[in-house]
Amino acid sequence: MLEAKNLMVFFENALALNDLSIEVREGEIVAVLGSNSAGKTTLMNTLSGLIVDMKRKEDRKGGVRITVMGSLHFKGEEMLFMKPSERVKRGIVLSQERHPVFRDSDVMENLKIAGFLRSRAETKARIELVFKLFPVLKRLKGRRAGLLSGGEQQMLAIGIALVANPHLLLMDEPLLGLSPMLQADLARAIKEIRNEGITVLVTEQFARPILPIIDRGYVVENGMLVFQGTRQELAENPEVKAAYLGL
Amino acid sequence: MTEPGSKFRKKRLDRGIKARADTIFAVASWREILYLLLPRALPAGFLLLLPLFLDGYWEKVLVYACMFGLLALSWDFLASCGLFSLGQSLFFGLGAYLAGGLNYYLHWPPVVTLPVATIGGGLICSALLSPVMRLRGVYFAMVTLMLPILFMKGIEATGLLGGTHGLSALSPLVHDKVSAYLAVLGFLVCLFAFRRVINSDYGLVLMAIRDDDRAVMSGGINIYWRKSQALFIAGSVGAFAGALMTHHYQFVGKSVFALDYSILPVAAVALGGQGSFAGAALGAMILVPLSEALRALGGLRIAIYCSILILSILTLPEGVFHYMERKYQQFETKVEVR
Repeated sequence: MLEAKNLMVFFENALALNDLSIEVREGEIVAVLGSNSAGKTTLMNTLSGLIVDMKRKEDRKGGVRITVMGSLHFKGEEMLFMKPSERVKRGIVLSQERHPVFRDSDVMENLKIAGFLRSRAETKARIELVFKLFPVLKRLKGRRAGLLSGGEQQMLAIGIALVANPHLLLMDEPLLGLSPMLQADLARAIKEIRNEGITVLVTEQFARPILPIIDRGYVVENGMLVFQGTRQELAENPEVKAAYLGL
Repeated sequence: MTEPGSKFRKKRLDRGIKARADTIFAVASWREILYLLLPRALPAGFLLLLPLFLDGYWEKVLVYACMFGLLALSWDFLASCGLFSLGQSLFFGLGAYLAGGLNYYLHWPPVVTLPVATIGGGLICSALLSPVMRLRGVYFAMVTLMLPILFMKGIEATGLLGGTHGLSALSPLVHDKVSAYLAVLGFLVCLFAFRRVINSDYGLVLMAIRDDDRAVMSGGINIYWRKSQALFIAGSVGAFAGALMTHHYQFVGKSVFALDYSILPVAAVALGGQGSFAGAALGAMILVPLSEALRALGGLRIAIYCSILILSILTLPEGVFHYMERKYQQFETKVEVR
């Protein structure tokens, strides 16, 4: 479904992604594990196309020079330099790190904005799906998004991504800053999202909460791929155990 | 744009890093010294020599350019602590009327009125604007836009301070060259002092207030006190420009509160580049002579002037100065990616 080959991203002279190749197949939940500054967010920005926008803006004002290299295929189409909005139309949707939501709009408005590209009936159906996955949001649908708790905002951020009708949902650290109980709930929700027919690529620092739900995983360090394997292989690898499972 | 297949990328090297190390200042060669010195000394020396060669009309243009330079610097200083003002003419007008009033009614000589107007103008500015300091962004801009209009209409309606006729026959500065040199010196001192201040710890606090005032508050710093200090500094600079202008033309009228003195400095900063003061100064030094040079074109003058401004904003959003600085301090090489 998604195939990224030899991705290289430079921020000025610093190498953020070093010859990274990953693949996501239809219907999988794939995890990218890595510590801070491993390049997870850069990878997500490259896959979702935000980096193309960043690059253009930095070039215009003469700021940091961003260089992107490699190849990225989604359903057979090359899209490394495609605009993020075009990628969303083709079904790649990113739910960003630290759950950005439209703080001054209420929950329902937030979800409706995300359905801008889709027809009204389709949006309505997608919002119903979001409410089914996260019943909490239905209760809070009239509340301003800025007043939600961190966990609720995270659910809303994922909901916003879901309303855009993704085929491949990219989630950048969805479990960041949540309590262990909430993390487990959210991991279950991610599994349900997959059961709705959406392929999921998720990044995380700490493997334990999402290990039960993933099919395969990649371990990234300093922008380089250091290990890849199925859930079983990840759970049994001693280094992964030490660094990402805390065993 | 790097093509998908290409194996090269452009690498940028900063020429300035070695010479601008923080703790060690080792001068390696004459080239290094010149590299650092020339961009500062050349424009300063050029400006200082300029009054010797200019006279009459173009000398007035130089003084005018320095006035706008001062106003642009004061705008940039306020902007670097998060106060976006649209009322530089308030600072300018207060200084002008203070100097004019003291000279007209009390017959104080310019030697006294200039410093008194500078300090007094700054104090009045920070006092007038202190109630609105807690406003940010467009709200602060609105208030500063309204205040000069309030003064202008007040003087017009009440007839105080000469009313619509203004105060004329004020004492001149000894000679036109003296006012030209005062303007140039004031401009240069202000430029280099601001650049120094903003890089000191004091300037660091101001810039932090711009970035996140709540974080500064939780750092235990009284941001309103700092902001009023910044207003005093910026107000004094504007007031000095106004006072100098009053004595240069030996006249002060309500036109000193005109919108030109508020908008042109902002345009100068937009053209030159915000945040480094040199950009603001360069912008003013380009805009004012340009507008005078275009005078020969008659009616189309303002239209051409505006198109040049729009084009520069579109093509160089970072500002002319920052573009030049980048080209001066960095060079690029192509490196292969293995």
